[in-house]
Amino acid sequence: MSATVAPVQARSAVPARRWRRVLRRRSWPYIFVTPFVAVFAAFSVYPMVFTLRLSFTKWRGTGAAQWVGWDNYTYLLTNPSFWASLKNSAVLWLLVVPAQMALALAIAVLLNHAALRLRNLYRVAIIIPFVTPLVAVAQIWIVLFDQDYGAVNSVLGALGLPHVGWLVTSQWAKPTLALLFIWKTTGFIMIILLSGLQAIDPAYYEAAAIDGASRLQQVTAITLPLLRRTLMFAVVMQTLAVFQMFTEPYVVTKGGPYSSTTTAGLYLYNHINRADLGTGSANSFLLVVIVMGLSLIFVRLLRPKD
Amino acid sequence: MTASTRHHRRAALTGSHLFLATVTLGFLAPVVWALVSAFKQPAAIIQQPLDLFSSGFTLANYQRMFEDVPIGHGFLNTAIVLVTKGTITLLGAPLAAFGFAKYRFPGQNLLFGAVLVTLMLPMIVLIIPLLLEMKALNWVNTYQALILPGSVDAFAIFWMRQVIAAVPDELLDAGRIDGCGEFGLFWRIVLPAIRPGLAGLGVLTIMNIYNDFVWPVVVASSSRMATLQVVLSTLAQNISGHRISADYATVTGELLAASSVALVPLLVLFIGLQKHFINGILAGSVKG
Repeated sequence: MSATVAPVQARSAVPARRWRRVLRRRSWPYIFVTPFVAVFAAFSVYPMVFTLRLSFTKWRGTGAAQWVGWDNYTYLLTNPSFWASLKNSAVLWLLVVPAQMALALAIAVLLNHAALRLRNLYRVAIIIPFVTPLVAVAQIWIVLFDQDYGAVNSVLGALGLPHVGWLVTSQWAKPTLALLFIWKTTGFIMIILLSGLQAIDPAYYEAAAIDGASRLQQVTAITLPLLRRTLMFAVVMQTLAVFQMFTEPYVVTKGGPYSSTTTAGLYLYNHINRADLGTGSANSFLLVVIVMGLSLIFVRLLRPKD
Repeated sequence: MTASTRHHRRAALTGSHLFLATVTLGFLAPVVWALVSAFKQPAAIIQQPLDLFSSGFTLANYQRMFEDVPIGHGFLNTAIVLVTKGTITLLGAPLAAFGFAKYRFPGQNLLFGAVLVTLMLPMIVLIIPLLLEMKALNWVNTYQALILPGSVDAFAIFWMRQVIAAVPDELLDAGRIDGCGEFGLFWRIVLPAIRPGLAGLGVLTIMNIYNDFVWPVVVASSSRMATLQVVLSTLAQNISGHRISADYATVTGELLAASSVALVPLLVLFIGLQKHFINGILAGSVKG
């Protein structure tokens, strides 16, 4: 009897201690992720849930919220100014993304030659705009592109060309903001593409050169197909950034002239000024759906065709 | 190699340099123009914008700007947010990343899924929800509102998890055998081992916090709480306010001086720590 009891006691005493140790070790990862979970729950999950509810109400920031069902959503989806803000962002996308990808790719391909002199100098200079504070350069843009006193119009004048109302006419305001965006972020796209280029095995180029392929043929036959994923990735990043564009129009044009630069991001922000928080919440969710939808479309395109 | 291909090569090389030099000039010109023009007489800034050096050197724009613009206060607020929020990010993110990279625990996938969702969620859509929460907490125009949201950044966790996963498990096991506690493993083994990654995260975090504008302008727009970028953004409104009067030149001079003061710290930081910046930006690009 005692022979059978003793091992049982021993077995239960050892696991108890080991269990405590295991439990303590098991609880460590939870302790480690606690700061993240706390911040995530308090400043992402809670506000999103709260706003989802709010998007079905009419609320001006004080007093009781009034339940209005889908009204905020139908109001936005039937409101021409909501669609105009999306259209402004879409036009900015067309002005920014193709031109920027071509420019960044050209720079990256040229910089991808280790023997090129001044390579590091070029690279650093081209990244500088990306690290500068956007508000500061947006202000410089206002001064540079001033219709009467700006340096850009002075250059045009010196060349015998007429002055352009860069920021005060609705046909030029979007291109001027697009130029700011391209100037600010091309260095970033260039580094992404450059790292993609550096992952391509140089043996491909050597083989192509032996076969007598020209530099241009090498780019179209080797670089572009192998860089497809990286390029599409850069397109996704810039698509998300353009549809959230806020600071540029907020500082430079305040969304004008005639709402021509009221982007999707600025339109969303304007609900706060009007204290129209129910509609603003609905707009937030519509923008989430649009941005996520666009990302998914590009992620599909990202997959290799085969 | 034949003479013609050599000739061809040299032409291509000259073309490369011509293109890159032109592009470089275009990327540097706005910044250089602003930095130099801020030392010109206000009238000359707007009357001869292209003549950078012959109109005489002056510190008047800086003097007037420091009198009129509360830029020192903006710097102070930015510095407070930079130190506190930066510290939280640089400790909280690697800590969570350590939990995700080196342990298996129930609920892990769910929580890491939360990290990925936060990565994809555009900041701009959180603005209204977060602002309402800050109002409910009575936190509008406070430091905690500037510091806490986004302080344990999902992207930083995502990146640090990859960095920490590369730390060999044998190193951690050796530490355990030597009697190191689990937190000690993080503090004494993991953090020193990932120093290059931490440096990249550090410069990227500094850049993001220093340049951040959307959230500060929404939640801390009072002059007492305004960060550097928020202070700067009010200058543009002055410009449109003085459009017709002769003050336009003066206001432009102040604006260029203020923008220069805001630009220079990051330029110095970037030129000094290029390698870490580029590593940080590249790591930033692998997200998603």
